[in-house]
Amino acid sequence: MEPEQPSPDTEHESLHEEAHLPSPSLWPIGFAIGIVVALVGLIIDPLFITTIGAAIAIVFGVLWARDATRELRRQPVDVEPERREAAAPAAEGGAAGAGLQEPVTRSVFLEGATLGLGGVIGALITLPVAGFMILPGFIRQKQHKVDLGPIEKFPVGSWFVATFIVNPAEGEVSRRAAFVRNNGPVAENGKQVPSFTIISNRCTHVGCPTQANGPTGAILGKPTIKEHTANGPVQFDPVVPAGYGCPCHGSQFDIEGNRTAGPAVRALDRYDFEIDHGRLVLLSTYSVSHVVGTGAQAQIYKYKHYDPGQHVDGPEQWFYPLAPPHH
Amino acid sequence: MAAIPKDKPTRIELARAQFARYKADVKSRGKPFFPYAMWHDTVMSLVVVATIIGLAAIWKWSAWGPHHDPTHKGLLGPIVDPPADPGTTSFVPRPDWYFYFLFYLLRIFKWPESVFLGTIGVPTIALVLLLGLPFLDRRLERRPSARPVALVAGVLVIISMAVLTWKGATAKEALASEVIADVPRWVQQENLPPAAVPGAKLFATAGCTSCHTYAGSGSSNLGAPDLTAIGSRNLGIQFQINHLKCPSCVTPGSPMPKFASLGDARLHELAVFLEASKGTH
Amino acid sequence: MANRQPTKAEIRRQKMEELVIYPIDWLEERSGLVGGIKYFLFRNVPSDINWMQTLGSAALTAFLVQAITGVILAMYYVPSAATDPHTGKPVAWESIVNISDNLTLGWLVRGMHKWGASVFIILMFLHMGRVFLFGAYKYPRELNWIVGVFILLSGLLEGFTGYLLPWDQTAYWATVVGINLNGTAPILGPWLAQFLRSGQEIGLETLPRFYSLHMLILPAGIIGLITLHLYLVVRLGVTSPPWSKEEAGGEPVEADEPARRRGLTQPVPRPANGTRMQAEPGGRD
Repeated sequence: MEPEQPSPDTEHESLHEEAHLPSPSLWPIGFAIGIVVALVGLIIDPLFITTIGAAIAIVFGVLWARDATRELRRQPVDVEPERREAAAPAAEGGAAGAGLQEPVTRSVFLEGATLGLGGVIGALITLPVAGFMILPGFIRQKQHKVDLGPIEKFPVGSWFVATFIVNPAEGEVSRRAAFVRNNGPVAENGKQVPSFTIISNRCTHVGCPTQANGPTGAILGKPTIKEHTANGPVQFDPVVPAGYGCPCHGSQFDIEGNRTAGPAVRALDRYDFEIDHGRLVLLSTYSVSHVVGTGAQAQIYKYKHYDPGQHVDGPEQWFYPLAPPHH
Repeated sequence: MAAIPKDKPTRIELARAQFARYKADVKSRGKPFFPYAMWHDTVMSLVVVATIIGLAAIWKWSAWGPHHDPTHKGLLGPIVDPPADPGTTSFVPRPDWYFYFLFYLLRIFKWPESVFLGTIGVPTIALVLLLGLPFLDRRLERRPSARPVALVAGVLVIISMAVLTWKGATAKEALASEVIADVPRWVQQENLPPAAVPGAKLFATAGCTSCHTYAGSGSSNLGAPDLTAIGSRNLGIQFQINHLKCPSCVTPGSPMPKFASLGDARLHELAVFLEASKGTH
Repeated sequence: MANRQPTKAEIRRQKMEELVIYPIDWLEERSGLVGGIKYFLFRNVPSDINWMQTLGSAALTAFLVQAITGVILAMYYVPSAATDPHTGKPVAWESIVNISDNLTLGWLVRGMHKWGASVFIILMFLHMGRVFLFGAYKYPRELNWIVGVFILLSGLLEGFTGYLLPWDQTAYWATVVGINLNGTAPILGPWLAQFLRSGQEIGLETLPRFYSLHMLILPAGIIGLITLHLYLVVRLGVTSPPWSKEEAGGEPVEADEPARRRGLTQPVPRPANGTRMQAEPGGRD
């Protein structure tokens, strides 16, 4: 935008011979701004803003014209010659007397400072971002309680395939299935306490959905029970299982969830539960190495929750010394 | 040309000399990439794109079905599968076909102690060998006829991958909801009396077909025998019931689970069905 | 040689050529790109290359098909595992049904992407087999082989992450199994599985994570690796088929083996140390 610099010696001599080059000037900026304000004012407020814009344009236009015609009116033109100050010796932190006298120290310092600063910037950017990528999947894992309904709905000794939504906020993605049986009351600390066997249907090999080996409601002629609880729709399909089988790689389990065949590495996981105001409420899952006995008298060898395929006992448990946080 | 020293040249020196000869040969008697090689590439690319479009078209039109139902299973599968149901108890998971070899590895390593070999061990070893191939085989020889180890190893890998993929594709578990549909065929084919029908239905839905084959249905797993003609051995109803209640008591070492919880009535129905299966066919 | 006046036609032709060449020269002077492209296109390759050696570029074409169809599908696909309150179906699944059924030519683009994945993987394996057969992983192409293995691995991971996106039964359960397979790795396995799932169970965050992996991280990696792979191919050259009689570079000489001759020329007398000291006479005899 700057017009070319006229060389001082041709300025007066060649005015009428060569193309007229106006002297450098910043007034056109103001002139342009004035024009823009005037045009914008036509849209926004013709009376007020356009007037201001026109005034600006006129003022700066006059100043510009005066500047541009300065040499025609034989007035000297103020032109700052291009001049650079010699670069002052840098006295940046640490390098005493740094400058042309000791070039090695300065450049070495700059190299280190650049890399160090680059590293700091890199860390400032990547660490929070990487933290954002990784941490949310690990922290604040919450337990979700599942209300399955009043325990009267579960006749003693009958198995059901129960499907329920663990976390209503997440919706269908948290739907799970479990094999549920009411074992009847059992004596504990002198009181009669309800006992339930609640086995997760996820195979402990690699997590495929196991099925009950046995006739379901359709064959038995018994209807599917549908309930609506605080966790949304819950469904109970009556079943008479002789065990559970996995359709992926052929693992088989007995009715207490013990592995009887196939590559499953432990018994099926179970759900902890509590009875809340006479309602069966599921808590967290936990892993089981094996179960001795059956029903209310079953001795369950419990471990904290492990993902499928991870041994909880035997030598291979040491493959998984540190489990991620789980509720 | 690299100067080769008088004493025995090292392998890397020979390799460099060969590469230098290669570059000289290509420079002196090679042909320009465009159009000679690029023509081949272009034709092949056209074949690839045409194949992809063709597969997409066949998928669409074969799956269209009689009533424009996208879940109709055509030549290349249905256009749309049912939406994800994490609480299902009636689905048979399978990976995409190019992972069938890994899927079948998991079925091969069926002892719990060996699971990690199938999931992580073997694939990692294979990957390490693949990455390390240029360092395992440093001979300069490139002609297949003079690389017997490479040729045999390559052929073995190809055959085993192909076999594993095919076995993975054909591996099946027998879902109760599928096998129950076979019961009428069993009745007709095996001349089963009406008294055996309830037992046949139980047999189809109690998971027996996950391990036993019967009259062409079911899958064979864990060494379970085919039961089409089990009745011809005349083992008797009581034997069948005792065996079902506790198979490992009757046959020590049997991996078959106990079916006692089915209850006496249903066990009797099953026994009747088994004893009626004489294999008349 | 022109020792006569050029005709009008020749002048016109020359002017036309200059007109065409002018923008090319403009670009070349300012970027050097034209020279690079010319080198790539007109470089020499061995004269005896065969059709098996088109598998690499065929795999590249398949990848380009995947990239283009993938970008277009991303304009209509919604990576949400949440349930649509009106239909009770997952939103991602519905977007796939929408693409397949409602949108014009959506069935074609989705079909191309789905089957293109299989074709891409098959071609990569075939290309790998061809390179193995030709011994083209040996010096100086070892690095290229390693880069290629990583491309194969990335392609398989693309298939794995992409498989989840339709959020149907096959997708969900194949992913459950795949994540748990990773989980069985010693020590770090459970952490890797939880990272992939973004949680202790597959939840609402899992699908967007796989989507980001599938369409941002892995494609960036594959494109970078493919660029390196192609650069190495151009730099190091394409091999002749090793059984070819006119093989560029001739036959290798093992340190201990006496040199053997094959081909159409007469044997050349060998120095005592058994190695060749002069270049093979090139071309046919």
